[in-house]
Amino acid sequence: MSRNFSGVLTALAMTMLVFSGCAKDQVKPDQGMTQPPAKSGPVAEQPAVKPEIKPAAPVAEPLKEQQVKDDVSAGLARPAAQESDSQSAEAARRALARIYFDFDSYALSQTARDTLYTNAEYLLKKYKGKVRLEGHCDERGSDEYNLALGENRAKTAMNYLITLGVPTEQLSIVSYGKERPLDPGHDENAWAKNRRVEFDVVK
Amino acid sequence: MTACARITCLVLLLVTIVPSMLFSQNDYLRVTAPGNRQLRLAIALPTPSAGSQDPKMAGEISDLLAFDLDMTGIFQVVPQGVPDADLVLKTSYSASAEKLILEYRLVEVQTGREVVAKRYSAARQDLRRTGHTFADDIVFSMTGERSCFTSKLAFVSTATGNKEIYLMDWDGFNVRRLTSNGSINLNPDFSPSGRELIYTSYKRGNPDLYRRELFTGSEARISSSSGINITGAYAPDGNRIALAMSKDGNSEIYLISKEGKQLARLTRNPAIDLSPAWSPDGRYIAFVSDRLGKPQLFVMDADGSTPRRLTTSGAYNVSPRWSPKGDKIAYCRQYGARFQIHLINPDGSEDRQVTFDGSNEHPRWSPDGRFIVFSSKRGGAEALYVMRADGSAQTKISRTGSAQSHPAWSTRF
Repeated sequence: MSRNFSGVLTALAMTMLVFSGCAKDQVKPDQGMTQPPAKSGPVAEQPAVKPEIKPAAPVAEPLKEQQVKDDVSAGLARPAAQESDSQSAEAARRALARIYFDFDSYALSQTARDTLYTNAEYLLKKYKGKVRLEGHCDERGSDEYNLALGENRAKTAMNYLITLGVPTEQLSIVSYGKERPLDPGHDENAWAKNRRVEFDVVK
Repeated sequence: MTACARITCLVLLLVTIVPSMLFSQNDYLRVTAPGNRQLRLAIALPTPSAGSQDPKMAGEISDLLAFDLDMTGIFQVVPQGVPDADLVLKTSYSASAEKLILEYRLVEVQTGREVVAKRYSAARQDLRRTGHTFADDIVFSMTGERSCFTSKLAFVSTATGNKEIYLMDWDGFNVRRLTSNGSINLNPDFSPSGRELIYTSYKRGNPDLYRRELFTGSEARISSSSGINITGAYAPDGNRIALAMSKDGNSEIYLISKEGKQLARLTRNPAIDLSPAWSPDGRYIAFVSDRLGKPQLFVMDADGSTPRRLTTSGAYNVSPRWSPKGDKIAYCRQYGARFQIHLINPDGSEDRQVTFDGSNEHPRWSPDGRFIVFSSKRGGAEALYVMRADGSAQTKISRTGSAQSHPAWSTRF
């Protein structure tokens, strides 16, 4: 009997707890949960114009010829000042090429450094808006460890851009670990594509 | 139903089952089978105690009891009428549209002695919960220890196309979605009381740590430092959380209060440190670090001192979880492109592989330490499985086609 009584008491207490809880704190709807902007349109695998020189040294002098070529190839021959923000953001999204990594590594290869050099030039001369570097991994590691590895990839790339003179305030990072593969395949080909840092334009 | 109403239902569900003893029993009875074999248990088809037959309900009750009791390994559930059964479980029911009365008697066949008998009245929709409470009573009456049949699993599912957090019963029934924010939600972990859940979500862009009170639905973002805020794990005291953050350069383990105040930094290393797992006494934390090259398991004191390597074999070891009794640590080892679950003693001895089929990850112990839940790709899409702590009886519990992963196991409700 006492067992029943204490059971009822517990039930009452817990029910009261719930009702008071509901009255006080309405369930907060999950809000502001937009998905990170989907990549619209194709993102170039390689920069439209490959830099002819490949020094890992800081960029100093403008490469005028190449800049003109870029503008023409992007169909943006107008002066930059007249360009709308969204157009220039879209152009930046297309121009900033992604870089790739070896398995379980966040070291920058020479190819990755070259790509970052080109991206740094673009960020110094053509696009002053904010960009976010997204670190990604292939599916083989553990999902938790990969979140930290993707973070290291994005951070290494960001630090390299900073040594090339890109203002820190222009850059931020996020790691997606293995949550957003570029290629859904399960072979070396797909994995190589998925171990990457992508550039996203922050609106 | 509003979210509030749903939560009210959940709680009512947890509290309205009022047991009444039919058979007064102060001490549990040990019934042992000769020759150390499992007890053969026949589950009689439930019969109506009043009113009409309900074959669907009868089938649901007996299937549920058979699943719970067979999984324990204490019993071998045998078909009714098998002549050499040791025990027979007789159940009767009477149900109206809203109410339900369930009664059971566990009888020792040879002597006709009633081992345990109880009657429960509950709301009609609490049929499964009442059945699990039965099964738990029976295990308690046989062993003196409660099991986990009334606990909940939290997990991640891509049923909606993105990773959201869900809850379900330990046998895979009563799936209920907890988050619906359309972003990526990861790493659920229950508070020791089972009333709170922490998880990492990208819902505001960055992987931040959130704490949700399950009964009120109220939620707070408790760690949103620049970079990752991941692999949160409640300390056994329920007031502190260990997690990995990268705000100071690379992924390190920190201790925060459950309100989000930073209490201590536990690792200082240029390598990646993450995935903290508490010993049940709160004195030690197992974790993953690649300070020696590849990710390996380490154990440190809970204040961050004296880190020592736990795993000495295997190139890639992750996801440690300490057993509730403190005697084992479950973790995952990588073999090629697959993972397998291992058990190891906290001193590094007796390292043993317990899964072999497909790729298996994310081991989490049941609150009673009898079982381990994990995610497996052995059947194609990732699904949740439960096994006994010795690796036997690996059983799929996911009942939908959508991928389910990253389980966390609550205490008993």
